[in-house]
Amino acid sequence: MADRLGRAEHAFVSGNLNSLDVARLGEGEPEWLARRRLHAWKVYETTPMPTEQMEEWRYTDLAQRLPIDRLHVPSMVPLRDDPDMWPQLLKHAMRDDPDTSGHLVLLGGGVVYTDIQPSLASRGVVLTSLRKAVEEHPELLKEHLATQAVPPEEGKLQALNAALWTDGVFLYVPRGVRLENPVRVTRCLSGAGAAYFTRTLIIAEATSQVSYVDEVLSEDLDPHTLTSTSVEVIARDGAQVQYVAVQRLGRGVFYQSAQRTLADRDSTLDTLNVSLGATTTRVDLNARLLGPGASSNMLGLYFGDGDQHFDHNTSQDHLAPATRSDLLYKGALDGASRSVFRGIIRVAKRAQQTDAYQTNRNLVLSRGARADSLPKLEIEADDVKCSHGASVGELDEEAIFYLMSRGISRNQAERLVVLGFLGEVLQRLPLGGVVEKVTRAIESKLRTGAHA
Amino acid sequence: MPENELVEELDLDQYKYDFRTVDKPVFRTEPGLSEDVVRAISAHKAEPEWMLEFRLKAYRLYLRKPMPTWGADLSDLENVLDKIYYYVRPQDRMKNNWEDVPDNIKNTFDKLGIPQAEQKVLAGVGAQYESEMVYHSLKKEWDEQGVIFDSIEDGLKNHPDIFRKYFASVIPPADNKFAALNSAVWSGGSFVYVPPGVHLDTPLQAYFRVNQERMGQFERTLIIIDEGAQAHYIEGCTAPVYSTESFHSGVIEIVVAKDARFRYTTIQNWSNNMYNLVTQRALVNERATMEWLDGNLGSKATMKYPSCYLVGEGAHGSILSIAYAGDGQHQDTGGKVVHAAPHTTSSIVSKSISKGTGRASYRGLCKVYEGSTSARSNVECDALLINETARSDTYPYIEIDEQSANVGHEATVSKIGDEQLFYLMSRGMSEEEAMALIVRGFIEPIAKQLPLEYAVELNRLIEMEMEGSVG
Repeated sequence: MADRLGRAEHAFVSGNLNSLDVARLGEGEPEWLARRRLHAWKVYETTPMPTEQMEEWRYTDLAQRLPIDRLHVPSMVPLRDDPDMWPQLLKHAMRDDPDTSGHLVLLGGGVVYTDIQPSLASRGVVLTSLRKAVEEHPELLKEHLATQAVPPEEGKLQALNAALWTDGVFLYVPRGVRLENPVRVTRCLSGAGAAYFTRTLIIAEATSQVSYVDEVLSEDLDPHTLTSTSVEVIARDGAQVQYVAVQRLGRGVFYQSAQRTLADRDSTLDTLNVSLGATTTRVDLNARLLGPGASSNMLGLYFGDGDQHFDHNTSQDHLAPATRSDLLYKGALDGASRSVFRGIIRVAKRAQQTDAYQTNRNLVLSRGARADSLPKLEIEADDVKCSHGASVGELDEEAIFYLMSRGISRNQAERLVVLGFLGEVLQRLPLGGVVEKVTRAIESKLRTGAHA
Repeated sequence: MPENELVEELDLDQYKYDFRTVDKPVFRTEPGLSEDVVRAISAHKAEPEWMLEFRLKAYRLYLRKPMPTWGADLSDLENVLDKIYYYVRPQDRMKNNWEDVPDNIKNTFDKLGIPQAEQKVLAGVGAQYESEMVYHSLKKEWDEQGVIFDSIEDGLKNHPDIFRKYFASVIPPADNKFAALNSAVWSGGSFVYVPPGVHLDTPLQAYFRVNQERMGQFERTLIIIDEGAQAHYIEGCTAPVYSTESFHSGVIEIVVAKDARFRYTTIQNWSNNMYNLVTQRALVNERATMEWLDGNLGSKATMKYPSCYLVGEGAHGSILSIAYAGDGQHQDTGGKVVHAAPHTTSSIVSKSISKGTGRASYRGLCKVYEGSTSARSNVECDALLINETARSDTYPYIEIDEQSANVGHEATVSKIGDEQLFYLMSRGMSEEEAMALIVRGFIEPIAKQLPLEYAVELNRLIEMEMEGSVG
């Protein structure tokens, strides 16, 4: 594996990249994939760089937050696939993971470790690196990789990712197979000043069931580092899928994630995005409800301090009748941190009997913090139940007063209120390991934060 | 006054059905817009030099500003803008024949119970007469209190100091493309000044302001409510305003001084060929209250977002908005509240109804600047969809820079409940009656804020609009 990944000998500087470099990146790959990379590169080159003049990027100045021309796209040096050599951070994170159906580890832009329960493998469940999957499951990848879910045409950064991705995760659950424990992926970034491009493709066949937890970590990195990931999740008829992304990156990292979920008839496709780390977080999540009876719960939680910036851009597309979606994103902002929530519910004409809900709640904990919220609705069907709500407010003084009257210090009372506020999100998708881990991370942030 | 002559020459009964104005020399500018047209407008109005310069500056800004790419579809508008006359002297505009007024408009007048003479005014074929007596007695009362209620042109002529102090101070020409256009070619509208401490019990109605153009294509209104004063201004009415023009772009500027209180009510019902793009904004000072009551029916496309800039401590702004989008119409309306001082409060309540292929969009902004401690704002939007081709959108922007602010936004979209319908029909109502009743209930929170005669008209209008919606 190390050999294959080490094949591209020299590092690219993003500003000097050209189609020859992209072609070189695709060397040794099947022709369809090499062609796809070049196409994506063409889209990248012809798509204008997002600026604050664009509605979708109105509150995030990409040029100022990411030196996109000065990042180096890492040469694929041999990766340490010896677990003893892994960073402490990674080992700790994995130690805290309870029961799993399978585990996959990425260091930087490459997969270094895969492990899946033999009983599941024998029933046809596939958990592997995307590179391997290109060789072993070409038909599935040809059909689904960067096609329906996150094609390069989705945007400048999505195109760049489709051209330059180095590795990623492929998870396939055959018809009717139900996984009792979650599949866990742990990623760790180390090279400062680098740009990592990875992808995730999850296919859950009819009536299957799977939970997937993806955790990304790093120390603080300087200069700026980019991690870009495109996530494609497909739930076939009646499948039940839970996708969870926990972002605990260090400062100096720009975390960009483009996610799309495709939910067929009677499937349930839930997502949870937890954003705690990184200097800049940009998540684009689009849930498509494609078949009658499809349902999607969309949960999100962010907690900022210092100069952190979070931009969550969600959309709920109801394209079939009798579909349901329910979004809840909650955030707390301390220090000089800032959040943007932009969400839209779109109900197509044919999507009658739709229920769609969207809620964004923000807690502003310090004078320098700021929260912007843009919850939107576009409804073209009439037999629908749609509502949305957004709020921005400060800590509930009454709740704090109540706790203090029970002998709890002000500091502790404030912490409890924040924890309770954010905890509501976790309660809606209580996956083993995730709740505890995220709660601990919030608690430690509350302790070290200026507010504590 | 030429309009006076016009009125005297008419005999109402004789002209009941074939009302025509006597031919008079026509003043209108060439179609399309150029610097010469702007100069011609200013010269015709014999304006001071500063106003000409202001218009020319605004015209250049207008050329530079891009068309909005959001909101209603304005792709056809460029064609319209090249062809229209930017200035037509008001009495020259009333050249329509009563026979030329479409039947559906006439029917609407009849059903609303509007007297014939008034119908002609609304159809743009006559001037205002019957309210003259009412107007004169009110005028006397206002004069005694020092209240100024004039046309915008007379405001500039007779009260140059107040006028110049406030004009374009709330909405500068650079605000947006259509504010720039209006600043270049404005004509018609009201000028209101209410002195400190004066409380007006009778609403100021643009309706009563006879002998002046009632509403121009590029109307400009400037209202100043001085310290501690209170007033209510009513513009427009629920009956459809028939106009051969297809573009209306107004600017309405309001200053509410310390401790003053002001309400601006407007219900507009334009004919279905009209682009209605209006900028209306109020500057609200310490402990002052501003209330917008804004109703939008008719038109082809409306873009209108009444705003309150809360710049003084304790200022309060409230926006009640109702929009009805029928077949082929797009109502892109809402409200903006900007909190720029401590302890400011605001609320926006928006109700929209879309029917047929109509589309109603709520677009709003709630912005709280840092330092606006304890600012409070609440936004509620409810949308009702009458049938499956109708569309409803909600686009709220919430930008909060102040920790101690509390801001909430809630919106719902729904159709008329089958259970509600079934219940009412089981009580002997027809489906149509039941639907009209439900819609009336839906807009009740706003209708009840209207003066009685307007509320009655609005209800009748909703009933008529609901006709034929069952099937």
